[in-house]
Amino acid sequence: MAEPDLKSIQKKVSAGASYRKIVAAAEAGAPICVASAGIPNEVMHAMGVCPIYPESLAAISAGIGKAGEFFDESRAHGLSNIICSYTRCGLGICWASKTAFGSIPRPNIAITDVNICCLHLTWWAYLEDHFTLPTFYMDMPATTDPGAPEYIDYYETQIREMVAFVERTTSCRLDMDRLHQSVRSSDLAGYYWKQMMALRRHRPSPMSFRALAGQILPLVTALGDQDAADFYEALYHQYLADAKEGKTPAQGGETYRLIWDGIPIWHHLQVINAFEEKGANFVWEPYTSLNWGNKTSTGRLDLDRPFHTLAEKYTNVWNNKPIAKRFEYFDQAIREYEVDGLVMFSNRSCRPMSIGQHELVQLITERHDLPVLIFEGDQADPEGFSWADARTRVDGFIEVLEGRKQRGRQR
Amino acid sequence: MIARFRERFELRHDRARALKRQGTKIIGCFYGLAPKELVHAAGMVPVQLVEDRDARYEAKSGLLPFLCGMSKNLAGQIAANVLDYVDGVMVSTVCDTNRHMLDIWVHQRAFPNQWLVRAPAKDDEGAINYFTNELRRLAGELGAVSGTPVTDDGLRKSIALFNENRALLRRFYDARPTAGLSAEDAVYVFASALTSPVEEHNALMRELLASLPPGAPGSDPKLMLSALNIPMAVDVIRMAEKYGATVVTDDFTHNARYGSTAVPADGDPFRALARGYLRTVPAPGLYSFEDRAARIRDAMERAGARGLIYLIQLYCDAYALEYAILKERFDRWKLPHLRLEAEATPSSIEQLNVRVQSFVESLV
Ligand code: SF4
Ligand code: SF4
Repeated sequence: MAEPDLKSIQKKVSAGASYRKIVAAAEAGAPICVASAGIPNEVMHAMGVCPIYPESLAAISAGIGKAGEFFDESRAHGLSNIICSYTRCGLGICWASKTAFGSIPRPNIAITDVNICCLHLTWWAYLEDHFTLPTFYMDMPATTDPGAPEYIDYYETQIREMVAFVERTTSCRLDMDRLHQSVRSSDLAGYYWKQMMALRRHRPSPMSFRALAGQILPLVTALGDQDAADFYEALYHQYLADAKEGKTPAQGGETYRLIWDGIPIWHHLQVINAFEEKGANFVWEPYTSLNWGNKTSTGRLDLDRPFHTLAEKYTNVWNNKPIAKRFEYFDQAIREYEVDGLVMFSNRSCRPMSIGQHELVQLITERHDLPVLIFEGDQADPEGFSWADARTRVDGFIEVLEGRKQRGRQR
Repeated sequence: MIARFRERFELRHDRARALKRQGTKIIGCFYGLAPKELVHAAGMVPVQLVEDRDARYEAKSGLLPFLCGMSKNLAGQIAANVLDYVDGVMVSTVCDTNRHMLDIWVHQRAFPNQWLVRAPAKDDEGAINYFTNELRRLAGELGAVSGTPVTDDGLRKSIALFNENRALLRRFYDARPTAGLSAEDAVYVFASALTSPVEEHNALMRELLASLPPGAPGSDPKLMLSALNIPMAVDVIRMAEKYGATVVTDDFTHNARYGSTAVPADGDPFRALARGYLRTVPAPGLYSFEDRAARIRDAMERAGARGLIYLIQLYCDAYALEYAILKERFDRWKLPHLRLEAEATPSSIEQLNVRVQSFVESLV
């Protein structure tokens, strides 16, 4: 079978295309669901429910510099600036009933996880309350042992109840054949994504974190859709070819290989380019490698047990892992990806991702002699962010890396 | 009499150390969603971890600048060895900060034992079954630490004691608006419940309620204060009183959680405890907003309060978001309210003066 053509398939899964799909779905009478990013999209896809992801829309709005009006909207509703910028922007989008691409149809239902962060619970409770939206909460207690069998079983019941909720509140019904198809597509998308991540071990790594930050979108918004699977398959082959040709986004060749910890700084993605201009390339991030894709023990979804496999995948939440476990992932990545330094994004919006970073750095630097740059800021709200300062800090960090490289050569 | 509540609260560290010297193990609860009955049934004393009035702790915390003063204050207390008597900590999620502080404490080995309460966010049958099993797991681990296994009978007795404490606090809040008692003193009646052995607090409460003197009505306007940080709340009470208002009732978020409805006393006590905690204890997102707002409004009506001060600790995203949701109802009900957001430092509190003054004046 011919490999899908990357350019044409990319158009089908772009941010604009995903917006057009929402509009078309609403016109066709499909239910629109305000969904948080940590719930089984595969099930919604199989049931014909069309999700809107406020977090993803917030990231996109920030990425194209159009989040300001949504922050204003949330301020007018009494939301303090100390609340996560995704929540503020996401609620602003809901109140304004529009995205950076155009107006959004009125949603019919809402579904959220309750554990990726506590705001997901309160935020959706707000949507339920304010917009009187039938809302379903995918219960997942806080834990430090997300792999415990009874924990996964409990979440599996939540997925089944989610199906019952959708059937109760919309005219959609679950067809098991469609669910199998949806899980199969998701598995392929997740598989190719993992394969892509593995390609970054190659020296030089062919991928730019900036490009990946955009290419991750279908993993958030379109799992279950065959277009997403086709996209990642095509993308993988493209990157494989790039790796063979020795391509790299790092200018002048890949001199330094780095880790980025945290969500990308959507409003200043050019920070990533500033590293690349100096020959530094990001080769591993928990955000790309561990938050998305097939997060099961085998790295694949079990097509024979769709509910269980989705439960295993969606309960595998990075924020629920103890610091010692998070360190193991870093330790392994530092060795396998031959890393020269770390950039930690201390994100004032996302407490779950930022708390413990300092302790993680302690563990890493005890074992690895690596320089660490800590950026403070916010993933979607540019307030207080200075591009000039950021550049200076990048330049300073590159000098540190360069100095270490030179000393290494002299030894 | 009333001074004994304050003394118990202010000398809480000394008193806990004295208990420890007598061989009692002390378990820190962070926060009001931790099932204290379980700790008690295991023969240990649960004490809620609360802020100390010492802004220097925040500088010692080593925490990220954008985290709340509560977490920084506790981290500072740990760094300064103030909590050296704590044999274990039990964290039950209210917000991301309190939940993930546990990660840091585990990493630092800050306490000899630590437990995360794996509480569902729902209260349906599946959630109650899950939480019942979780409570049994916790009971087993607590019993292993104390050497006193948690039995059904033991847990029933503990539930009854804490229910009695809740009932006494409710009676106190009913009596408070017309009692001859300062708002500041009233704070310590409740606050000492968080940090004292329940038997002792019950005895004190019974004594207080039997001898509560009637008082002359305070000056207008009468206010309710909703807050989390106890020292900050005392500062705001003093400030409001300075401008002529009387704080006739309070809604401490600890209090609203801890002093909420009684835990059922029938059947399997673990199951009863599960039912008593899931979605019955006010915490953002874990409780109906309608009920939370209505409880505040009703408590204000009962106490004759005309205005509400809703005090948020700076960087407390959980309550900042809750406020925005409650505000829609307060506005609809035309319930006069003032949101204050501040740090627990003297300079930050000082800056609230003008806003408190103009709020009080607007109600006269
Ligand atoms: S706090 Fe973190 S996980 Fe929660 S919505 Fe914000 S960015 Fe997402
Ligand atoms: S509820 Fe607020 S004050 Fe308490 S730990 Fe959480 S963020 Fe801090």
